Amino acid sequence: MRSTEELISSLATELAPVRRLKPPALRALRWILLATALIVALVLLRGLRTDMSDCLRDPAYLVQLAGAWLTGAAATFAAFEVSLPDRPRSWLLLPLPFAAFWLSGFAYGCLADWVAIPAGAPVIPDSVRCLETLIMASLPLGLVLWIMLRRARPLRPAATAWIGALAVAAFADTAHLLIHVVEASALVLVINLVPVTLILLLGGLLGRHSLALAR
Amino acid sequence: MAAAQDGDQKAYAALLQAITPYLRAVAWRAGLEGDEIEDGVQDILLTIHSIRQSYDPRRPFAPWLLAVARHRLIDRLRRRGRLRFRETELTPVHETFATDETNLPEENGEIRRLKKAIAGLPPGQRQAVELLRLEELSLKEAAARSGQSPSALKVALHRALRRLRILMPRS
Repeated sequence: MRSTEELISSLATELAPVRRLKPPALRALRWILLATALIVALVLLRGLRTDMSDCLRDPAYLVQLAGAWLTGAAATFAAFEVSLPDRPRSWLLLPLPFAAFWLSGFAYGCLADWVAIPAGAPVIPDSVRCLETLIMASLPLGLVLWIMLRRARPLRPAATAWIGALAVAAFADTAHLLIHVVEASALVLVINLVPVTLILLLGGLLGRHSLALAR
Repeated sequence: MAAAQDGDQKAYAALLQAITPYLRAVAWRAGLEGDEIEDGVQDILLTIHSIRQSYDPRRPFAPWLLAVARHRLIDRLRRRGRLRFRETELTPVHETFATDETNLPEENGEIRRLKKAIAGLPPGQRQAVELLRLEELSLKEAAARSGQSPSALKVALHRALRRLRILMPRS
C-alpha cells in the first residue's frame, strides 16, 4: 500500500484544471426546458388527444396533468441537488406533494367513473401507440439526464437514480396524458401506471450502479 | 480548493496535506481502527480528487469536505459490516492439531480415565459394569448373558461403583 504522502503528491502532480459544475438549480432548469420541449415536439408529431376540449373542462384531468409535470420538475431539482455531496437528503421529499396530485388522477379516474372497456374497442393498437409515446419520451430524456447527473459523480447514486427516474417517468406521463385518450379506467392502470412504474424501476436499478463512483 | 479546480498543483498538495489529520480524526471517530483509518483517509482523498468539479467555491469548503468524508466512510463501514456478516475471521480456537487426541472426544480427559479405571477392575466387577451400565441391560438379561446370578451381579456392580468412585474422585 502507498503511503498517504505518496498518494497526495501523485494526486497533485496529475492535477488538471476542471470545469466547475453550474449550480444544480440552473442545470435542473435546463433539463426541464429540454423535457418540456420534447413533450411539445411529441404533441406536434402525434397530435393532441381528440377529446382535448372536454378534458380542459375536467378539473380532475387538469390536476393530474399539472401534477405530472410538477412532479417531474420537482424531482429534477431534487435529483441535481442530491447528486452533490453537501446538499441535504430532504430534497428527496420535494416531489411528494405534486406526486400526490399526479397519482390522485389515477385513483379518481378509477373511482369516479369506472368505464368498462367498450366492446370491439381497438385495445391493442391503442396500447402499442401509448407505449411508443412513453418510450419516445423516456428514452432520450433518461439518457440526457443520466449524462448530466453523471458529471457530478454522485456519492448517493441510488437516491439520485431513483429520483431521476421519477422525473423521467413523470415527464413521459405528461406527454402521454396530452396525446392519448385513455377512458377505460381499467386500462388507465395497465397502460399508464404499469409502464410508468417500469420506467421508474428500470431507471432506478440501472442508474444506481452506473452512476456510482468506481470503488 | 478553488485554486485546485483551476489546476494549481501546489495549492492542491498543501490543501490535501492540511486536511489529512482532520480526515484521520473523522475516520477514527466513525469507528475505523488501525490500518483501516489510513485506507479510509486515502479513499476520501481519491474521492475528493475525482469529484473536485462538483465543489462550488461560493459555498464553504468544510461542510463539503465533511459530507464527502461521511459518505465514503459510511460506504466503507457498510461494506465492512456485510463482510463480517458473511465471513468469520480465524482465531486460535479454529486451529486444530492432526493427532487423534485433539480431535476425538472419546480419547479425551475424563472419558479416557474412566475407561482406564473400568479396565483395571477385577473381571467379575468389570463385566457387571459393562452389562448393566454401559449396555444398559436388565438384571435378568445380564444374568443370562454372564451366567452369574442376579444377586451376584448386583453385589459386583455395587463394589465396582464404589471402587470407581475412589479411583475417580469428583473434582
